[in-house]
Formats: sequence, structure tokens, C-alpha cells
Amino acid sequence: MPDILLRYQAEIWQAIGETFIMVGVSILAAILVGLPVGTLLYLCRKGNLLENRFVFSSLNLLVNIIRSFPFLLLVVFLIPFTRLIMGTAIGTAAATVPLSIIAFAHYSRLVEQSLLEIPKGVIDAAVSMGASVKEVVFKFLLVESRSGLVVGLTMSTISFISYSTIMGVVGGGGVGDFAIRYGYQQFQTDLMLYVIVIMVILVQMIQFIGMTIARKIDKR
Amino acid sequence: MMEWGLFVIELQNVTKKFGTHTAIQNVSLTVHKGEIHGLIGASGAGKSTMLRVMNLLEIPDSGSIYVGDRELTTRSKRELREARKRIGMIFQHFNLVLNKTVEQNVAVSLQLAQVPKHQQIDRVRECLRFVGLEDQMDKYPAQLSGGQKQRVAIARALANEPEVLLCDEPTSSLDPHTTSEILTVIRDIHERLGVTVIIVSHEMNVIKSICQRVTVMDQGTIYETVPIESSGIPKSDRSPERFIKELKNDA
Repeated sequence: MPDILLRYQAEIWQAIGETFIMVGVSILAAILVGLPVGTLLYLCRKGNLLENRFVFSSLNLLVNIIRSFPFLLLVVFLIPFTRLIMGTAIGTAAATVPLSIIAFAHYSRLVEQSLLEIPKGVIDAAVSMGASVKEVVFKFLLVESRSGLVVGLTMSTISFISYSTIMGVVGGGGVGDFAIRYGYQQFQTDLMLYVIVIMVILVQMIQFIGMTIARKIDKR
Repeated sequence: MMEWGLFVIELQNVTKKFGTHTAIQNVSLTVHKGEIHGLIGASGAGKSTMLRVMNLLEIPDSGSIYVGDRELTTRSKRELREARKRIGMIFQHFNLVLNKTVEQNVAVSLQLAQVPKHQQIDRVRECLRFVGLEDQMDKYPAQLSGGQKQRVAIARALANEPEVLLCDEPTSSLDPHTTSEILTVIRDIHERLGVTVIIVSHEMNVIKSICQRVTVMDQGTIYETVPIESSGIPKSDRSPERFIKELKNDA
């Protein structure tokens, strides 16, 4: 272990912990909000089970607007909102607010995309068997798209790690912020490189785990 | 159980448009209880649409659809779902859930009908035995041949003991041998279970082999409905001797 890593051991562990909190909350937001929103986008699309132009266009616009923000600007733009719901706009907890918002928007698109890949005939079969919309979603759509949903969540998680490195601007901490403050700004380039290596390993692991699970559950 | 009259399905002045294209125009048709009814016509003649309005998979723009003695078009969503459970349907591309095993694919239609869990497995087994796939329960559709997939779809459609089986081009993506195999299963369903069958196909030999009445469609309307003597399902021999013989005999 290089000396410089040992010297900053405590800070690095704290930074990793902060990154895990920020990315963890983002994943939760993706699953709890992004998955339903993506499913709704799919169902309300023209020609689908809950075809509804108003709901579709509204959600579509919302997701597009959130995703077209350069993320740094979104964070700044959301400061009043973050302060409103968290009491402060500074710190790791506050940082989870803009991250959750980009997370749900990001993942809902991938969910919609995975659902669009399912052959329409499967839905015909489900409806012909007397399935309700809820049953079509849970017993057919989510089952058939499950590996795509896992691949999407893997990709999203990796993006969330990247987004989380920006959160230093609002005191969110995390690994990226550590690399900037202790590595770049204190002219310890080697420390910055070591942190980058840690992140590469982390991303590789997530990619590997996600792809392995996706392959295991794909029987198509 | 519902009371069924002399007819099983009746369409009255049904019209269905897709955008500006009229798929079926003011069509009236009666399907008798217990028959195998064929629908044939060129592609675009409206035969699939006609089948798909029978369980309201396509909602007609106007007209009424009676199944049994009750009108489907005026029912609530919930009643419509209940009615659909009594009407089985199979498709050209089988439409199985590829991430479910054979057993789970059949079981899902029982789950939708709220059949108690402990009764499900016996019923699944019974249906798969009927189509000759009892030993393939744990396989996934990707591990099966086309004919086997269609038989799983048939087992799934039979699980809730339907009075009617709607078949939308059931053999159109199968080879001649497998076509005979599937037609035999469909005829068995008709003979042994007394199910009324409506079969859409563009293949004349399929229609002629098992149907008792045939409706010919043309440009979204019914040209004529004729009773026929079904010719029987052609025997299909896949032995190499047979191939050689056919190659030498026929030009």
C-alpha cells in the first residue's frame, strides 16, 4: 500500500462512505420513482394499454428537461428546493436531493426503453387471458424485461457515481471530491491517480456484478 | 357458469378502423356452438381483426359482439376480463413469456383466474399432458421447437376450460409436419373437450382440413360463408425415403 494512501486512510474511507450514501440513495430513487415513471411512460404511449396523451407528454417533458440540464447547473438550480425539503443545501444528505432527481429521470428512460423491446404479442396474450393492467405489468412486462432492467440499473449506477463526484460543490463529499481537494488542489497528483484507480475498480465490479445477474436471469 | 345459447359468438354490424384504414366494415357473423369455423382471405382482408374483436382485443368503432347470450361491448372492464377468461386464444408467434418456464407459462392463466395454488399444479400438468408436453415442464420456451411452443400456448389457452378457442394463424410459422401436429391437437380439443374453435388462416389446406364452416373475407367484408366437409389432416411423413419418393414422383 502506498504511503500516501495510508496517510489519508481515514479521509478516504469517509469519502467512500459518502459516495456509497449518495449512490445508494440514487439507486433507491431510481427503483422507487424511476421504475414506476418509466412504466407509466410506456403504458401511456400511443397505442399502449393506458394510452393518455396528456400524462405521456407531461412525464416525457419532465424527464427530458431534467436530463437536458448540465448536471452542475441542475444542482445549483435546485438549491432552493433542496433547502426547502432538507433544511439545508449543504452536505451529503442534501446532496442526495439533486442526485435522486437526476437518478429517477435517467433510469425511467432506460426502463421505458426495456419495456419497448418486449414483443407486443406478449401483451395481446396477457389481455386475452383476462389480465388487468396491473397484472400485465407485474406478471408479464416486468418478468419479460427483467434482464434489461438490471442492465439499465447497472448503467445508471455507474452514471450516479460519476454525478456524485460533482457534489463537492455543495459539500457533498465523496471520492471524487476527495480526489479534487486532496489530490488536484494540493498538487498530490499521485494521490489523485490512486483515487481514480479505486474508482475504476469500483466501476468494474459494478459492471461485472450487473452483467452477471442480467445474464443469469435472461432465459430468452 | 354462463348459460350458452345456440350460438357462441355473434357479431352484429361491426366496424373497426385503424386511422383512416377500415379493417372491417359493417360485418355480421354467427359462429355456431360446437363448430370449427374457418376465416380465410387475402392478407389485409380483415380476418385477423375480425378474430381480435371477438374477445375485444380490438375495440370495435361500432356494432355489437355477443359471446354466449351476453353483449361484450357494453360490459364493464372487470366483467370483460372475466369473460375473456372463458375465451382461449393462440397466436401465430405463440406469444409465450420467454422468462417463464413451460409450467409457469400455463400457470399464469390460472393465477389470473384466481385458481387456488394447490389446484394449479394439477391443472397445469393435466393441460400439458393433453398437448403431450408433460415431460417439458421445467424448460424455457427458448429450449423448445416451434411446434412445442405452440402446444404450450394451447395448454395455456385451455387451462381455464374455455368454451371458445380463437386461433390467429396458429400454423403460419410452422413447417408442414408441425402444422399437421398442431391441427391434430386443435381437432382433439374440439372433439374431446367440445370447445368451439374459430381459426384464421391464409392457408387453404389448413382451413380445409378441419373446418366445418368457412367464412371467406374480402376487403374488410364477408364475401360468403359456406359449409364444407373437412378433408382431414394430411399425414406428414418426414422419412428420407418419403422425400426421395416425392422428389422422383412429382415434377
